[in-house]
Amino acid sequence: MALYAVLLLAVLFYLLPLVVMLLTSLKSMADIRAGNLISWPEEFLLDAWVKAWSSACTGVSCEGVGAFFWNSFQITIPAVLISTFLGALNGYVLTKWKFRGSDIFFGLMLFGCFIPFQVVILPMAQTLGWLGLANTTTGLVFVHIVYGMAFTTLFFRNFYVSVPSELVSAAKIDGAGFFTIFWRIILPLSTPIFVVCIIWQFTQVWNDFLFGVVFSGGDTQPITVALNNLVNSSTGVKEYNVDMAAAMIAALPTLVVYVLAGKYFVRGLTAGAVKG
Amino acid sequence: MATLEISSVKKNYGKVEVLKGIDLSINDGEFLILVGPSGCGKSTLMNSIAGLEDVSSGDIHIGGTNVTGLAPKDRDIAMVFQSYALYPSMTVRGNISFALEIRKVPKSEREEEVERVADLLQISHLLDRKPSELSGGQRQRVAMGRALARHPKIYLFDEPLSNLDAKLRVEMRTEIKKLHQRLKTTIVYVTHDQIEAMTLADRIAVMKDGEVQQFGTPQQIYDDPANMFVAGFMGSPAMNFLTCTLECIDDGYGLSVTTSDDERYFLPLQHGDSSLQEWIGKEVILGIRPEQITHVIPHKQEQSCVARFTAKVAVAEPTGPDTLVLINLNGQEVDCRVHPMEEKPAGSDMEFMVDMSKAVLFDPRTEKRLL
Repeated sequence: MALYAVLLLAVLFYLLPLVVMLLTSLKSMADIRAGNLISWPEEFLLDAWVKAWSSACTGVSCEGVGAFFWNSFQITIPAVLISTFLGALNGYVLTKWKFRGSDIFFGLMLFGCFIPFQVVILPMAQTLGWLGLANTTTGLVFVHIVYGMAFTTLFFRNFYVSVPSELVSAAKIDGAGFFTIFWRIILPLSTPIFVVCIIWQFTQVWNDFLFGVVFSGGDTQPITVALNNLVNSSTGVKEYNVDMAAAMIAALPTLVVYVLAGKYFVRGLTAGAVKG
Repeated sequence: MATLEISSVKKNYGKVEVLKGIDLSINDGEFLILVGPSGCGKSTLMNSIAGLEDVSSGDIHIGGTNVTGLAPKDRDIAMVFQSYALYPSMTVRGNISFALEIRKVPKSEREEEVERVADLLQISHLLDRKPSELSGGQRQRVAMGRALARHPKIYLFDEPLSNLDAKLRVEMRTEIKKLHQRLKTTIVYVTHDQIEAMTLADRIAVMKDGEVQQFGTPQQIYDDPANMFVAGFMGSPAMNFLTCTLECIDDGYGLSVTTSDDERYFLPLQHGDSSLQEWIGKEVILGIRPEQITHVIPHKQEQSCVARFTAKVAVAEPTGPDTLVLINLNGQEVDCRVHPMEEKPAGSDMEFMVDMSKAVLFDPRTEKRLL
C-alpha cells in the first residue's frame, strides 16, 4: 500500500507539467487571467488548438504551426529510416565482415556519440554550402543522418555481436553473398533492435531544435523552431493557451511513438542479453 | 563425392602458428576424422577446408581441383556446425532449401529435394516448424538435412554431436554411420571425442599443437600408436604408462616391475630387434592398455609373452561388463580390466595376467615409439 502511495506521488509529480499544459491549452484567456495555474477550466475550449495549428503568428507569417508539423515529418521520416538502415549495415559489417582495423574504426565511430551538437555546427554549415544543400530539407536530413549514424551503428553493432557468426558461415557455404545474407538471414532477426533504433532516432530528430534552427530555411523549418518562434512572437498579449496547445502539438508524435512501441523499446534494449 | 588432398597447409595468426604443415589425403567415399584436444588446430583445419579461413601456405584439392583460393560457395561443400546454425527466421523447409534457392534450382526440384532429405532423416512432420520449436536432436537432424540437400563433393561435420545429451549422442552417432554407409559420401568430421573417432572413421588424423601426430585407420591408431600422445589420447580408460628398466635375459627382451609388496616380476616382450640393444639397462616407458592386464585366463597363459603376477588391489571400479582394478607397479598406478566374477575387494591380493604381445615402448625423453 505504501509502495503504491509513493508510486502515485511520483506519477503525479511527473505528470503535473503535462496536466497544467493540457488544462491551460483548453482554457480561454479570460479564464487563465481569472484562475490559477492548476485551476479547472470553466469551459473546455479547442479554440487555442485551432489557432495554434492554423493562425498563430510564428514570426512575420501568421499561419499556425500546421505546415511546420508536416515539415518535421518530412525531415524525421527519411532521416530516421536512412540512419537506422545505415546503422544496421554498419553493425553487420563491423561484426560479421570484420576487416583489418575494424575495431579501431568502430571505436572512432563511437566518438560521434560524444560530440556535442554545437561542435559540428560550423563545419557542417560549410559542408552543406559546398554540397549546395544549405537551407534545404535534404541538407537537414543529411545532418541528422550523419549525426545519428554513430548511435545507430552502436546499437546494431552491439546487437549483432550476440548473433552467432556461424549463421553467416553457414549461409556463405550455402552460396549466399554479402547482401543476400544481410537481407535473408540478418535483417529478419533484427526487429527488436530496429524498434529501439527507430524510437531513439525519431525522438532525437523530432525534438531537435539546434540543427533545425541553424540549417533550415524559413519554409522548411521543423516544428520545434516554429514553436520557439510562436512563443517569442508577441502581439501585445501573451496567449498562454495557444503556446501550450502548440507545445502539445509539437510533443504529440513522440508521445504516440512511445505509447505504441514503448514495450518493444524496453524489450529491445534487453534483447541479446539472453539467447532468443 | 570426391577425394580430398591437403598438402603442407600452414596457418599463422600473426606470429602464432596454428597449423604447422598439414598433409592428409583421403579417397572418394572415405570418412576422415580429425581428433585432438581443444586448441590443436582441428577446427581451423576444418574451416580452411571449407574456405571460411584462408591458409597461409599450402594447397587444398577437392576432387582434383585446387580450391585453395576459392570462396566457400565455389568449393562445392556442405557443412554441419556445432551450434547447428539454423536460420532462425526460416522454417525447416526454408532452411533445407535455402542453398538450392540461392543456386537458382527450380521450385519443383527444390520441393522434391526437400522431400527426399526429410524422408531420409525422418523429419517430414517438422518441415513447417521454426528451429526454435524443435528439440536438440531434431535441430541436429535439420542441420544434417541442410547439408544433404545438395549433392556436394564433400561433407564437413564440425563437432555435430557435442551439444546433445549422452544417450542421443550415441543414437545419432549410429545414424551418421548408417547414413555414410548408405550414401558413400566423402566426409570430414571434427571431434574431440575419441570414441566417436574410433566408431565412425575410416581414417583418423590425431592432431596436437597444429601437427598431425598420426594418420591411419582406427585400429592402427589404437594398436600401433606413433607416440605417447596418441597412445594416451585414444582409448578409455587410457593406456597405462609405466616407467621401467629394459632388460635382456637369454636373448629375449623384457621389463621388470615391482609390486607394492616388493615382489619383482619379469614381463617378457614378444620381439625386439637390435635397435633396442642400446636401451638395455636404461629407463623406458611401457605402454599397456588396461584390457591387456586381466585376471588369469587359463587357456591364454600358455601363450609366449604372457606373464603372471600377484598384486594388491587398491581400488575396484565396476562398470557392469567388467571391473576396472587399480594396482600399483613400480610405484605407479596401473589400470587393469578384469571380469566382475574374478574381482577381489580393495586391499586383498589378486593374481593378474599380462598379455605383452600388444605392449609398446616409448622413449621417455622424446615420447616417440621404440617398439
